Amino acid sequence: MTRILLKQRLDDCIAAWQKAGYRVLGPVKRHDMSSFDEVQKASDMDLDLILTERTIKDHFFPQTEPLIRYKIGRQQIDSETMTPPEIKRVFFGVRPCDASGLAIDDPLFGWDYRDDYWFRRRENSVIVAIACTRADDFCMCTSVKLSPDSTEGADIMLRPLANGNGWQAEALSAGGAALLDTVSPMLQEDSSEAAPVPVVAAKFDVEKVMAWLADKDNFESQFWKEISLRCIGCGSCTFLCPTCHCFDIQDEGDTYSGIRRKNWDSCSFALFTMHTSGHNPRNVQSTRWRQRIMHKFNYYRGKFGVNSCSGCGRCTRQCPVDMGITETLQAISNLPR
Amino acid sequence: MIYSPFPMRVVSKREEAPGVNTLKLEFVREEDHEFFKAHYRTGMFGLYGIFGEGESTFCVASPETRKDAIECTFRHSGRVTSTLANTDAGDIVTFRGPYGNRFPIEQFEGRNLLFIAGGIALPPTRSVIWSCLDQREKYRDVTIVYGARTVADLVYKHELEEWKRRDDVRLVLTVDPGGETPDWQDHVGFVPTVLEQAAPSPENTIAVLCGPPIMIKFTLISLQKLGFEQENVYTTLENRMKCGVGKCGRCNVGSVYICKEGPVFTAAEVSGMPEGDL
Amino acid sequence: MGIQEQYRSEAAAMLSSGEVKLVIGFGAGSTADRRRPVFARTAEETGKFVLDPACIANLTTYLVSGGLLSDGKKVAIFLKPDSIRSLNILISESQIRPEQVVIFGYAIENGEIMPLSGRSISDFTEIGGRIRSATPPPAVLQEAEQIEAMSPAERFEFWKAQFSKCIKCYACRQACPMCYCKRCIVDVNQPQWINTSSHTLGNFEWNIVRAFHLAGRCAACGACDRACPVNIPLRLINYRMGKEVKEAFNYYAGECSDQQPVLASFSQDDPETFIL
Repeated sequence: MTRILLKQRLDDCIAAWQKAGYRVLGPVKRHDMSSFDEVQKASDMDLDLILTERTIKDHFFPQTEPLIRYKIGRQQIDSETMTPPEIKRVFFGVRPCDASGLAIDDPLFGWDYRDDYWFRRRENSVIVAIACTRADDFCMCTSVKLSPDSTEGADIMLRPLANGNGWQAEALSAGGAALLDTVSPMLQEDSSEAAPVPVVAAKFDVEKVMAWLADKDNFESQFWKEISLRCIGCGSCTFLCPTCHCFDIQDEGDTYSGIRRKNWDSCSFALFTMHTSGHNPRNVQSTRWRQRIMHKFNYYRGKFGVNSCSGCGRCTRQCPVDMGITETLQAISNLPR
Repeated sequence: MIYSPFPMRVVSKREEAPGVNTLKLEFVREEDHEFFKAHYRTGMFGLYGIFGEGESTFCVASPETRKDAIECTFRHSGRVTSTLANTDAGDIVTFRGPYGNRFPIEQFEGRNLLFIAGGIALPPTRSVIWSCLDQREKYRDVTIVYGARTVADLVYKHELEEWKRRDDVRLVLTVDPGGETPDWQDHVGFVPTVLEQAAPSPENTIAVLCGPPIMIKFTLISLQKLGFEQENVYTTLENRMKCGVGKCGRCNVGSVYICKEGPVFTAAEVSGMPEGDL
Repeated sequence: MGIQEQYRSEAAAMLSSGEVKLVIGFGAGSTADRRRPVFARTAEETGKFVLDPACIANLTTYLVSGGLLSDGKKVAIFLKPDSIRSLNILISESQIRPEQVVIFGYAIENGEIMPLSGRSISDFTEIGGRIRSATPPPAVLQEAEQIEAMSPAERFEFWKAQFSKCIKCYACRQACPMCYCKRCIVDVNQPQWINTSSHTLGNFEWNIVRAFHLAGRCAACGACDRACPVNIPLRLINYRMGKEVKEAFNYYAGECSDQQPVLASFSQDDPETFIL
């Protein structure tokens, strides 16, 4: 017997959470794009999507984040630190790959210096994941040792019932348990089976990949040039990735005042590492592509014990030239020893 | 809050060389100054900025033995440095830091010190030099080899005079061929060449080397010729930076984040980094 | 033999003889319906080429990125009419020397693929006529009509909603062959003309600047629209700008390779009294 939530009670849950002071966000399709946005009722959500085009990363690490409001004056300082809004949020219907993306980025944002822009949002959010029942050709969670029902980063795991009427509900953290308590009248004990998770065959051997990347002789391999010939350096893969976190700090305003902001940036951009002197350590696309792969599957793992990839497949799914990291990792897995 | 800088007042500005200025900055708020005094060690860097323009990364050129103010030396080259170069005493700028790792100068105690610098790279070396000269009795022989393209490009000219006059410091100055003035008394030649001619002994000696990448490359070769072990040669690396705290993903050379695990490295550590990322 | 085999063997011959250093074409993608850009440098690599009605991307962007043609050598490339149009525009803007490009031309009509005859850009004289007589896809026309029927306030709300999705990834710029500036206006920081932030102002600034920078230069290939990861209907903006240029100057970009760029050239008998 497990606790289940029936679909027909979802509206009551949303109402209860709103009453408890939470904003509820779910997967929606608005203006021809699917993302997570605020919902008022269950029918606002599109829970049948395999996954949304935009990730929930946007709500923890927004594309543009105001840091400091300042007034320009030569002999006086007039600035005010801006902090993220302390809004409580429930993210309902998060796929396990997106939830694990948050868990993967936590150690980076907490590496010695604590980025409270990230953590205040994390602390005020509850992640309600829904396990997958379908996958498409681009999904590769199992290749990076996650799965369609992985619990990393989730506070609550909902497993769709085989009969399609709702979900089994399991609290994974104190925050998740507290959230389920607020809707315990809407839950019931039931022995309905959960639907099976899809079989997602591994697309590459991640151990082999990590070993190849760790070999210093491969840093200058011709492989990097060959594999990245068609990359146009557009940055979409990095911006739609649940774990990519590179950013720029820019002062934006006029001659009197402005706001210092943290904006997304991408290691695929040509000017990312350009020195003022004109020297650019990564001045050809192949070196930038190498940086992306090495960072995700070598450097990040070396520092934080986990690969910076949740296997969602968005990078390939929407790459304009059908690239993304899967092909590169497959090619590395298939290299002759 | 992370990314929030300290306000600093410009105390003085000194032109070191064409396009190169040193600013002396004092803390506006006492608690910021206390933080700095508690954390700053020589080798660390900061992000110096002006609201409306942005932030720029350079070392703290003042030593850990003199923490009443911050000195920074920079070349006017981009948007932020141009504005900093146009400040006057009394103006407010910002400082974020101190970040990064440090020169382990306590490990240099009882040893000979060899400082080698080129051009605008004297500032980080100067921070170590003064940290040691201010505690002179802890170290043995001190040799400074410094060169610039021309006489005008030598920075800290007054301090060079001071070091020259001291009898507990051996100063070897050089300018590139063609860069000497008619009355130039010191060496003419590139730093690696002059270094080899000066032939300092590697025996019980730590070398601190800062300069443009090309100078570092050739000087390391010269140091190797002179018998220096890579573990006893310290250098600093720099890269484009924005956050300074290891999060924006920009400054890494291979797996090493210059802002968190640097900027101070031994030559042994540098030789383990992928050259293609430098 | 079919067009795919014919072009494969011609490409192989050109690579073997050294006539070209590289052939840029299409290959199988990661799923059955996808095609991807493929680069062949040896005769046997041409075996990877696929040419069928799914090959719709505009490959000319590779001719102007990374200094590919800076060594003076020749490159062969698979182009359909809108891509040939792009090539004309790039040549007329002095970005490519026509003698460096060998064209394997093809057209897709009613789901069928057919070769276009000609190998050098000067052979494709019928492109101008094709452009003048072509009609945009019915879906584009329909969407454009819907917007044109809106009041200015409604149009503004429509675009505000669409641009709110923009994440400043600049995929549109990277995919476009005509966006070849070594330092794009958004990358200039002295001064920072265009904000890099994606708030309403920043998004309007970028998208509108790009629309104007492409006015009279767009080949209507759809690369930007397909590249946009957040599904902003850039095709509508470029369609409308193209329409404006045609009505104001009776001009279609890319009709031939010695066309004068419409907004970058002027003659004494221009009706305007000033260069702006």
